[in-house]
Amino acid sequence: MNTLRDKYCIVGVGETEYSRSSRRTTRAMAVEAIRKAILDAGLKAADVDGMLDYQGGDSTLANSVASDLGIRFNFYMDVMGGGSSTEALVGLAMGAIEAGMCNTVAIYRSMNGYSEFRIGGTGARAAQPVRGLDLAQVPYGMRSAGQNFAPTFMRHMYEYGTTSEQVAHVRVAHSKHASQNPKALLKERVTVQDVLNSRWIVKPLHLLDCCLETDNATCIIVTSTERARNLKHRPAYIMGVAGRVSKPRLDFHWAHGPISRVAGYYAKDIVFPQAGITPEDVDVTGSYDAFTFTTMLQLEEYGFCKKGEGGAYVSSGIIELGGKRPNNTSGSHLCEGYTHGMSMVIENVRQLRGTVDDYCPRATDGVHTYDYSPGHCRQVKDVEITMNLGWAMPATGSALIMRR
Amino acid sequence: MPQPVQYRGMALIVPDNDSEWKEFYEHARAHRLVVRKCNACGLMRYPPTHACPWCMDLGWTWQEVSGRGTIYSYEIVAHAIQPGFKALTPYAVVLIELDEQRGKPTADEALRVIANLVQPDFTPEPEANVAIGKRVRVVFQDLADHMALPQFTLTEEPAQGRLWRLPG
Repeated sequence: MNTLRDKYCIVGVGETEYSRSSRRTTRAMAVEAIRKAILDAGLKAADVDGMLDYQGGDSTLANSVASDLGIRFNFYMDVMGGGSSTEALVGLAMGAIEAGMCNTVAIYRSMNGYSEFRIGGTGARAAQPVRGLDLAQVPYGMRSAGQNFAPTFMRHMYEYGTTSEQVAHVRVAHSKHASQNPKALLKERVTVQDVLNSRWIVKPLHLLDCCLETDNATCIIVTSTERARNLKHRPAYIMGVAGRVSKPRLDFHWAHGPISRVAGYYAKDIVFPQAGITPEDVDVTGSYDAFTFTTMLQLEEYGFCKKGEGGAYVSSGIIELGGKRPNNTSGSHLCEGYTHGMSMVIENVRQLRGTVDDYCPRATDGVHTYDYSPGHCRQVKDVEITMNLGWAMPATGSALIMRR
Repeated sequence: MPQPVQYRGMALIVPDNDSEWKEFYEHARAHRLVVRKCNACGLMRYPPTHACPWCMDLGWTWQEVSGRGTIYSYEIVAHAIQPGFKALTPYAVVLIELDEQRGKPTADEALRVIANLVQPDFTPEPEANVAIGKRVRVVFQDLADHMALPQFTLTEEPAQGRLWRLPG
């Protein structure tokens, strides 16, 4: 196994406010998030010589945001992609540095995902003409992410007896986590019954099974361990990464079953051997919550429980703060705000540093109460290893394992 | 070049140079459901792809299929995204497994098609009648002189395998 384990790190993280009305451009937001990440790392703009970003025709390219910050590139690339791009671009950043192309790479995502190009598919996205491969689905009123993913969950329910009640616990856990997060858009804790009583969007998904369209920008900075030694924070060392691993027949993944199988089935065999660990060694997970069930599907596919037992796993208390292996401790896409995955990597970096930005008065100094009652702490004790499970869709995913 | 077909507020665009879909929809307009069959290995595939996903051969012919199959999975859209679908809610989107080539070339593969489950007048089949395992057949919804959409409707045949629908 060819591995770059511990040779690269994430040294800086930053984000804008999460809102439903940014009232500014994706350029302005990207610049703010990148600037914060550079300052967080203890770097200067001139130290950043690489940039990667991802988008779906809804954002600003690297050339203009870099100029705003006075950055001159030795390497940059704008990539088409949504969820699961963060982890993949971390791997590409490592590769660019390893190849000698550049030294330090800022990765960003910026979107007005509610006020401009709604991620849920209404407005501008719904009005796009239908051509090519889209003809196989969109004319049937199947266009949004929820509509594209729901038959996967339905088939999982059929095959394994998974229930709406079980996956509702993902929302319950993430709302608990968001109640400890000053940045979160939805800080109120919800119950299983709240999820089940919320209106149907596309069966089997209720409104509260769905994530929260948000305006925001996010950024992380990747550099070599050697370079990280003199920087501000304890680095988050990258142990393993798998980027946009896919199932067969990506043109129409329904053709290759079982459709309840997701890309983690393949990605796990790349990322765990690189890191030299097993799921049992992971303290905190960041399983992408575009929907409650996407968190569940990935956790079981990566082996945190047996295939088919994801419903039991997410409803057992394991994934909540105070449980054995909390998932998405920021509240993430369901409650904090939708970022196309970057925020879940940011959160795990902060968990590894021990400086999660909760309501503890001295949180930024790494002093926490570990009181998980509402409005207090969300730092997990003694986090050694975190893992992100990035989701683009059932057939494409990424993974990232980090340690402190 | 044919004008875009307007359907429920969407522009469906199938230009003359659409080497994957143009003939597919011409067959559909003649009420034939066709898939591509590889000239080399004989396996059929949907949606239309340029090369064979199993042997990479570029040779293919259109092959008409029976249009009979079974509901493999489904969803019920309660909140429509596209404005033209709002009046139809709740409507079913179904993933149909066709009878031809089930479990080939590997046990997990099949010819599967996305469509709506409709009544004879192309309005949505009531939700209570939608279930995994139910048998269906293709019907064609004519949209223009050169285009029809394959849709599926329930048949009287007994269910295939375990019949299941979302509880509640």
